[in-house]
Amino acid sequence: MARTVVVAPMLVALGAAIATLLTRRFDRAKVGLSLAGGIAYVVAVAALFAEVGTEGILTYQLSGWGAPFGITLVADALSAFMLALAAIVSLPALVFAVRYVGEQGQQVSFHPVFHFMMVGVTGAFLTGDVFNLFVWFEVMLMSSYVLVVFYGGGPHTRAGIRYVFLNLAGSAFMLVAIGGLYATVGTLNMADIARRLGDPVTYGVDPAPVLGLAAILLAVFALKAGLVPFQFWVPGAYRAAPAPVSAVLAGVVKKVGVYAIVRLYFTVFGVGTVPGGLGLPGLDGASFLNFFGPVLFVMAVASIGVGGVVAVARDDVDELLAYSSISQVGFIVLPLAVGATVPAVRDLAIAATLVYSLNHAVAKGLLFLTSGAIYEAVGSIDLRDLGGIVEESPTLAGGFFVGGLALVGIPPLSGFFGKMLVFDATARAGADLALGAALVGAVLTIAYFSRAWNRGFWGEPSEAVAEARPSGVQLSVVITLGLVVVAIGVGFDPVFEAASRPSNSRR
Amino acid sequence: MTQYVLAVVLGLLFAFGTFLVLRRDVVRVVWGVIIMGQAANVYLVTMGGISPEAVAPIVHGSGEATTDPLVQALVLTAIVIGFGTTAFALVLTYRVYEEHGTLDLDDVSTSELRGSLVADGGTAARGRDGATDEALDESGPDGSTDGGVTDG
Amino acid sequence: MSTVIARTVVRTVVPLILVTAIALLLQGHNLPGGGFIAGVLTATAFVLIYVIYGQDYLEEAVFHRTPVPSLEMFRHGILEYYRSAFGLGLALAAASGVAAIGFGEPFLTQTVRFLHHVPLYGEMELASALVFDLGVYFTVVGALLTILAVVGSE
Repeated sequence: MARTVVVAPMLVALGAAIATLLTRRFDRAKVGLSLAGGIAYVVAVAALFAEVGTEGILTYQLSGWGAPFGITLVADALSAFMLALAAIVSLPALVFAVRYVGEQGQQVSFHPVFHFMMVGVTGAFLTGDVFNLFVWFEVMLMSSYVLVVFYGGGPHTRAGIRYVFLNLAGSAFMLVAIGGLYATVGTLNMADIARRLGDPVTYGVDPAPVLGLAAILLAVFALKAGLVPFQFWVPGAYRAAPAPVSAVLAGVVKKVGVYAIVRLYFTVFGVGTVPGGLGLPGLDGASFLNFFGPVLFVMAVASIGVGGVVAVARDDVDELLAYSSISQVGFIVLPLAVGATVPAVRDLAIAATLVYSLNHAVAKGLLFLTSGAIYEAVGSIDLRDLGGIVEESPTLAGGFFVGGLALVGIPPLSGFFGKMLVFDATARAGADLALGAALVGAVLTIAYFSRAWNRGFWGEPSEAVAEARPSGVQLSVVITLGLVVVAIGVGFDPVFEAASRPSNSRR
Repeated sequence: MTQYVLAVVLGLLFAFGTFLVLRRDVVRVVWGVIIMGQAANVYLVTMGGISPEAVAPIVHGSGEATTDPLVQALVLTAIVIGFGTTAFALVLTYRVYEEHGTLDLDDVSTSELRGSLVADGGTAARGRDGATDEALDESGPDGSTDGGVTDG
Repeated sequence: MSTVIARTVVRTVVPLILVTAIALLLQGHNLPGGGFIAGVLTATAFVLIYVIYGQDYLEEAVFHRTPVPSLEMFRHGILEYYRSAFGLGLALAAASGVAAIGFGEPFLTQTVRFLHHVPLYGEMELASALVFDLGVYFTVVGALLTILAVVGSE
């Protein structure tokens, strides 16, 4: 059964990468092809989304090999939701990049590498095989290395080095964990792993080592998602990368880590139990999730705290946004932690995670693009040089305002429902500690955004700001993304329905 | 017997790789990452099970027991990916040297503080590690994995 | 580096490497070998020429073009050749996969045909995987030589 619609997003991104690679010398054609590729990607994802909505889970066997042996692509509600998120953020970022990344950079390899990154992201969202997930991670990371290091400029090389080497070490560990999984479970197909873990006696699987290997994998995914204590690379890399790339890194690439956690730990490893209990101090229950719940909880709370506290003291807008995204990923993972421990709220928790991911992707994308537009217009994004942007360019200030409020969680923006669902899930689970952490995080979010707003946007225009000339294309991208943030908040019903579909179909 | 030897070798490789990753010299860090990657590859091969009688899964129809072909396919892919990342890491090293005139990570950060691209003072760092230049010449593409990925 | 011995050895070894590479490329679809390893071998042959005879020789004698100063290389020089090899290889590999969709099969599906009564060979195997391998081959060669030219020209 060949359903081309499943591979379509991946093929479109691959085609765009190759086409832009071949038209190296023809600048206009290349930019045109690249944008056409971006639009075609959105169309392909929309088609897949609609198909998954009517047909349920779609599978696709690459090159026609049968299920546990060949490479399987699986498009279900979760994949479709994450793909939609990727499409919503990547197209504006691409349009923005055409007016932002230097001419020479665009000539050399920006467009192919950008599309290759989207190939990796798409593959990671669609694959139904753990090793294949590793491969797509590598494709995605390799492209992001190029974008961070070679488009970052001299002063940021050190940040680039840190990003590259941390992720290379992470990849080695992922490989080790995958090898171990194969040796203990005997398969790498996700559905097959879940089946065997669900009935360990029949298949002769020893669940205890699987738990340890899953823990190694969790460390790798936390590294990709930038969770504390694996957050070191985040601020440097986001500052180094050009603004549209940071938007995609924070909006989409991080979510691949989050997606991997949701996918593997809730649908695959979640079925596993250790007979006779976990045998770890302070942990009851025998399910794998009884172990991962507390671990995720500690990571999430630490991320919320560390990211929020540090962000309050940052003067560089990009750095502030980077630390803020560490904190926000904490918010994304917090409901997962609660859901893992309390099965009653698990479905709600996964929906909360997805909604908050979408909110963070769009709002943080908007903020990074706004910061890029400010940088282009003013020549600095240091809060000490800025001031009074409201007077000079209300649009830019509006972009920052909307993005900031969305992350704070003010209705009717997208963030309101995200925050509300996070609080709802934690409150229903009776997790007071998590609720407290989320409250502190929310207060910190208000603190750093109001500080940035007061210093950078209100008051008398500074010298640099007074001469600012924002580019029209960049402004229109900021406006469009701002409208998306509002639209998600106002028309929340279908979004929530799409976000709760994965957990409904899980049953 | 083989498995004990392999276990020891793997442990040593991982230990040595970790040791090198913690150095300040970028070239050594690159070596460390390469060694860790190779150790992971060897580990992956052993995960298919070691049996002295089994032959490599190449000749078909002979009826002999072959080793697990899946891990070999996985390792082939991982090697291709490792090749690409290694190449990229080496190009990155070269770029660090070009921009900062040094391969010492501490010096890289101080030259950042000065906000300038230091061109002098790097000769000593380079002379210390003669392997750099040859290694760079043989370095591969950053994009080769994109083609090779589907290969596996 | 460039002693008489080295030059003579390179003269003999390079053709051998290239023939081995082509053999590996052609048998890659069902025997050990394939586009990747053949590409790496081919690039090694070029590296040998480059190390022993120098980049200019590589450009003049092998590719029949006049070398240009290194800064210009980034726009027009021999790099453009390598890069098109990279892009075309990628396009070929992708196209061989997409072609399967045209026949109603899943992406990347490969097939094989046997030709009978071919002169000299008798029976010949024509595998579509060869096209994919060829794409990978060009990708690898192009990418490796690009890096070689950029880093080596310093």
